[in-house]
Amino acid sequence: MPSSALFSAAIEQAINRLLSLDSDSKVRQSRLNGMRLYLFIDPLPNAICLVFSTQVDVLTEYDDHDDVVAKLDDKSCCIQTRLSTLPSLKDTNQLTRLIQQGELTVDGALSVAQQVSGLFQHLDIDIEEIIATNTNDVFAHSLVSAAKTVSEKVRKGSQVASRVLGNALVEEKQLAAHRLAVMHFSDNVNALRDDVARLESRLNKLESFRTKS
Amino acid sequence: MSDPQSTHSNDTSTTHFGFKQVEKNQKASLVAEVFDSVAAKYDVMNDLMSMGVHRLWKRYTIDCAGVRPGNQVLDIAGGTGDLTAKFSRLVGPTGKVTLADINLSMLKVGRDKLRDRGLVGNIDYVQADAEALPFPDNTFDVVTMAFGLRNVTEKQNALDSIYRVLKPGGRLLVLEFSKPTSEQLSKLYDMYSFHILPKMGQLVANDAESYQYLAESIRMHPDQDTLKGMFEQAGFDQCDYQNLTGGIVALHRGYKF
Repeated sequence: MPSSALFSAAIEQAINRLLSLDSDSKVRQSRLNGMRLYLFIDPLPNAICLVFSTQVDVLTEYDDHDDVVAKLDDKSCCIQTRLSTLPSLKDTNQLTRLIQQGELTVDGALSVAQQVSGLFQHLDIDIEEIIATNTNDVFAHSLVSAAKTVSEKVRKGSQVASRVLGNALVEEKQLAAHRLAVMHFSDNVNALRDDVARLESRLNKLESFRTKS
Repeated sequence: MSDPQSTHSNDTSTTHFGFKQVEKNQKASLVAEVFDSVAAKYDVMNDLMSMGVHRLWKRYTIDCAGVRPGNQVLDIAGGTGDLTAKFSRLVGPTGKVTLADINLSMLKVGRDKLRDRGLVGNIDYVQADAEALPFPDNTFDVVTMAFGLRNVTEKQNALDSIYRVLKPGGRLLVLEFSKPTSEQLSKLYDMYSFHILPKMGQLVANDAESYQYLAESIRMHPDQDTLKGMFEQAGFDQCDYQNLTGGIVALHRGYKF
């Protein structure tokens, strides 16, 4: 018990803290008032239920999926998915594909899931502002600017390093094949596959003639 | 099995107050004195004594309560409103939560705390004795009682009374201190309860006696199976209990069908 209660308490604390960092989220959250979203995430042992009111309450759900679906009303929705699929849910264009592939099951009011998704996707958190409330504007601005510069430098550095490493492997040490050589090899493999398929077809025809005669 | 007096004491004139025997009609006022004394520091002391774990026990109780929007919920001995706060959001504007406590000091602390949090509109505050609940029959969908039953003089009367006010299909959840399931834990727990707890009470709340009573009242409370039997005697169906933190606390559940 304490682990599941601790888990739901931690999620509840994190969600409410996150939402409190964006004052505009209050409006979006108020549209969800009275709604419930049940989440069955494999391999988590218990489902969780997000209950929306003036805050988000997170409950551990001990009923199984079928029992939860049976008690859904027009203000609740149940999602069943895998932990590894969660990142894909950010892209709403992927939802139909995921449902068709059986990676995602949605029961009840789909609008609830869409609004919850919108609540988190449209979060606009001004980190500089948050740091400034605990320190001062100059420090916050310097810190965030420095972080952005470092992150940009790391990104560019990794691009350059990847290019240099690629050149060294292909051109200087010749440990890996050149991209054009790989493409040429792939074309040859495709051509060979087509030839084999044609030969197989002719052999089959000859075989059928032989058995008829 | 523990304390036959606390379970079937209608035929005797005394009952326990901690380890002491007192007249039955005195117990309520003695318990009231304890809670009058600790009301102001109740939340701080709970966090300190349980190292915050009481929040997880209560959270588990709320999870098991299965409260739905529109439900009528009674939180008996609700004290400073920990369960009521959450229930108030879960039942929504169409439901209602009644916070009942026999002790006015605790009720006032709870009411002020919940109002400060902006929880108004669907909460009623009622000073009530669990043994004679002032509500019509079949009123509530869910009744909870967290850390209150052991302070009730006639526990069976309280369970009977709760059964009466529950709607058919409703459920009762009683979260209460119980008997640790392991011998080692029991010894450790005894040492903590009788040596450390009263000192903490003295240090933080300037009241060692109340916390000595707390430790004693826990030992006098019926164990898991006895309490389950009392649920069944009151008429509850599908009664079960779950030990939490090695049986230091148990959550008992029963349904009225």
